[in-house]
Amino acid sequence: MVKIYSTTHCPYCKMAKDYFTKTNVEFKDFNVEADDEALAEMVKKSGQMGVPVIDIEGTIIVGFDRQAIEHALSGKK
Amino acid sequence: MIYDTIIIGGGPAGVAAGIYAARKKLKSLLITKDFGGQSVNSAAIENFIGYKSISGADFAGVLEGHLRAQEGIEIKDGLLVDSIKKQGDIFEVADNAGGIYQTKTVLYTAGSSHRKLDVPGEKEYEGKGVFYCSICDAPLMKNKPVAVVGGGNSGLEAVIDLLPYASKIYLLARSEVKGDPIYLDKIKKDGKVEIITNANTKEISGDTFVKSISYEDSVSHETKNLEVSGVFVAIGWIPNSGMLKDLVKLNDKGHIIVDPKNQQTSLTGIWAAGDVTDGPYAQIGPAIGDGIVALLNVYDYLNKKG
Repeated sequence: MVKIYSTTHCPYCKMAKDYFTKTNVEFKDFNVEADDEALAEMVKKSGQMGVPVIDIEGTIIVGFDRQAIEHALSGKK
Repeated sequence: MIYDTIIIGGGPAGVAAGIYAARKKLKSLLITKDFGGQSVNSAAIENFIGYKSISGADFAGVLEGHLRAQEGIEIKDGLLVDSIKKQGDIFEVADNAGGIYQTKTVLYTAGSSHRKLDVPGEKEYEGKGVFYCSICDAPLMKNKPVAVVGGGNSGLEAVIDLLPYASKIYLLARSEVKGDPIYLDKIKKDGKVEIITNANTKEISGDTFVKSISYEDSVSHETKNLEVSGVFVAIGWIPNSGMLKDLVKLNDKGHIIVDPKNQQTSLTGIWAAGDVTDGPYAQIGPAIGDGIVALLNVYDYLNKKG
């Protein structure tokens, strides 16, 4: 399961979620603005606080880096 | 196969050019990392004529949707262009996924990137309290003191993005605050904003995350320290023109010099539009206009060349 940690108005979070929707990748969205537990998890996983953070089965990607996402996804198929 | 034109960039200038290229039935390709350009960082765009208010993210969707509705333009997104080479009469464009394309003309609309402060601690704490996208990362500063560096419009916008979250906001301006009055009025009304002028940022420090920022008062030459959990850097933009520096003329700030009548660069066959050029106003409206002018001039050039 792909996890994305995002904030409400972050454009790159939206781009990433739109990308997952368009390519039929199932994902769970954690809004770290409202969910302190998810925020702590995100900081722990990525070692930083910027959003979005994307967790593809343990591969952590900071930002909407489409090539890194595609690469991580293809490794998991 | 040789394209008539390759458009590089998916911001307002590139998308406008792409739509016109499709309508002129040019054999065209648009390569971009994503859509919307730097306007995606805006919480609300309120000066793009036709929309009273639209978020940067929605605006990016509008641009992409309009471009994808065209037939006949090829789009490669999620990619960066690595190099542009002139080979005789044509240009060779290489992307970062190994794709190589040949084209008669290039329309370069790669925009600009956040300018960095270039002080100790900035790089080390990037994402760990040092942020460049206030609309993205302001919510992480809930009930925390923060500093915004930059007294222009981007600085003021960052302050506005932080108002609902931060407990205290220091706005550090190198000289005076120079942003639009409409933003300044909003900021001055809020008691938690403290404007510090004549402030030269010296260092960002902390442990795992940012703890403080120091600056020198350029009048008294005193160095002062502020305890903050976040530093939002909003000191403007630098043009993404490095790739073309050996091919076309740039001004001293790195902007591509273009002829404003037709958006031609100093090298025949390469056009540029939007914030990467030396046009005086980095705004969505002019970028769209310049993208259209550039494409129409590319079309005339191709027709004359036959």
